[in-house]
Amino acid sequence: MDIFETPLPGVGVRYEFTAESGDRVGIVVRRDGKRDIGIYDREDPDDCTGTLELSEGDASALAELLGGTNITARLESLRHTVEGLAIEWITMPAHGGLTNRTIGDGRIRTTTAASIVAVIRDEVGVPGPGPSFELRAGDTVLVMGSEHAVGQARQILIG
Amino acid sequence: MLPTGSVSALRLAAAGPEGTSDILVELGIVLLVLAILGRLAARMGIPSIPLYLLAGLMLGEGGLIPLDAGEEFLAVGAQIGVVLLLLLLGLEYSPEDLRHGLRTTWLAGLVDGLANGLPGFALGLLMGWSVTASLLLAGVTYISSSGIIARLLGDFERYTNRETPVILSILVMEDIVMAVFLPIMAVLLVGASVAQGAVAAGVAIALVAAAVFVSFKFSRHVSAAVHSRSRELLLLSVLGLTFLVAGLAEAAQVSAAVGAFLLGLTLSGQVADDVRDLMPPLRDVFGGIFFVFFGVTIDPRDLIPVLLPALALAVVTAATKIATGMWAAKRAGIGPKGQWRAGVSLVPRGEFSIVIAGLGIGAGVQPQLGPLAAAYVLILAFSGSLMMRYAAKIGPPSRWLPARADAR
Repeated sequence: MDIFETPLPGVGVRYEFTAESGDRVGIVVRRDGKRDIGIYDREDPDDCTGTLELSEGDASALAELLGGTNITARLESLRHTVEGLAIEWITMPAHGGLTNRTIGDGRIRTTTAASIVAVIRDEVGVPGPGPSFELRAGDTVLVMGSEHAVGQARQILIG
Repeated sequence: MLPTGSVSALRLAAAGPEGTSDILVELGIVLLVLAILGRLAARMGIPSIPLYLLAGLMLGEGGLIPLDAGEEFLAVGAQIGVVLLLLLLGLEYSPEDLRHGLRTTWLAGLVDGLANGLPGFALGLLMGWSVTASLLLAGVTYISSSGIIARLLGDFERYTNRETPVILSILVMEDIVMAVFLPIMAVLLVGASVAQGAVAAGVAIALVAAAVFVSFKFSRHVSAAVHSRSRELLLLSVLGLTFLVAGLAEAAQVSAAVGAFLLGLTLSGQVADDVRDLMPPLRDVFGGIFFVFFGVTIDPRDLIPVLLPALALAVVTAATKIATGMWAAKRAGIGPKGQWRAGVSLVPRGEFSIVIAGLGIGAGVQPQLGPLAAAYVLILAFSGSLMMRYAAKIGPPSRWLPARADAR
């Protein structure tokens, strides 16, 4: 997305971009901290159909609201970026499954064709753990493969 | 300036209860009239400047209520008003705004100056005025009112519009031109010959350029020196510095207004922000006094003979302003409706036309200049604001030429 910046002498700065829907949005950041948001008229591209005047506080509240959904949307899109490839985070149970056993014991790659990409233990990531890596309760295991394979791997891991 | 000021202060102090009460009563009346008119203007959604001017015409010599005791105070107040108007104008712009404006808008500024200055200049000569007086009239018709226009753009929620930067950058350019124009006029008004005038004008430009350079260079130091967290101390230091610089500039024939403008440009950062919060009420009070005083110095009966020329000039220069704005907006890639809005938005004339005319009145260059400028500003401040409100919404009359469409 291209954001165009235009100085407004004596007032502040105007930013302008075109949304994917085709709506053109202009935002004026005034020197005193006030913000004006305008949506440009499709008939008359230089005029706004409506403007919204926000105080500095209003603006940051709005940004938080918009930003919050933004983060969720990004995670969501990350999950679906590659067709046919599933990624899943699996938390190891207290008992059963592969808890307190090694990755090799589960023979996940041979039986399901899914692979364990990484293990996260106590906030520390272990990328590419070998077959002798022993899983513990509370570990988060990152499994990657086809959707079917990841489902099978999940069965083996949590039992 | 200084001797008369101290003498009148002495006289004021020595006048005793009787004289003081007269001054206070008159001043009270003037300020109350301003307050009532300001409310009226706000209610009607028009700028207050033309109403203040009208009030001034009604008061004083030849008007309904004669003023005499308070006139000296009003004169000083008006001078302070001009200085504060220009100080805050300078504060509105950062050095970066000016540099950007000069780089991108110089051509539009030139077209603007010729298209809108020439009609005034020509009318002055036609009426048999001196070159100096005609030049002042050119200044009056050239400069749009950034005060009125900026406020109305905010009121009509048009800051986000795409043509607004075009309007604002033309206003910046006009203010830069004024900073050079005022000192040149100040020199010419002293009565120099053409050759002397040219030399003096060169000196004036060099002086302003040097001041601009120095002020940009030492902007941070000056701002730091003036800064204070106490509002009282900040106000005192900024006002003190402003009056001192303005007075020195006046003594050096650069005009107090330009001195104040340059000081406004110099102040930056936190100080500029604080002063922009503190000063506007003070500016509005003294600015109001300035407009009233300008009206007071004019006998309303003198308006009648200049009414027709003022009207003609207003029609012509409204058309030329619209044409200038449309041309500049077109160059910036703005669509037809936006071009029309940009043109119409530049029509209002106001405070700076009065400042320029006031310069001539102070020097007694042409008795008709004051009445003509007053009538002209009254017409264009009113009709210009109304046009901004309505004409800009309706859009350009497509069947007519925009220039003709404006002819009332």
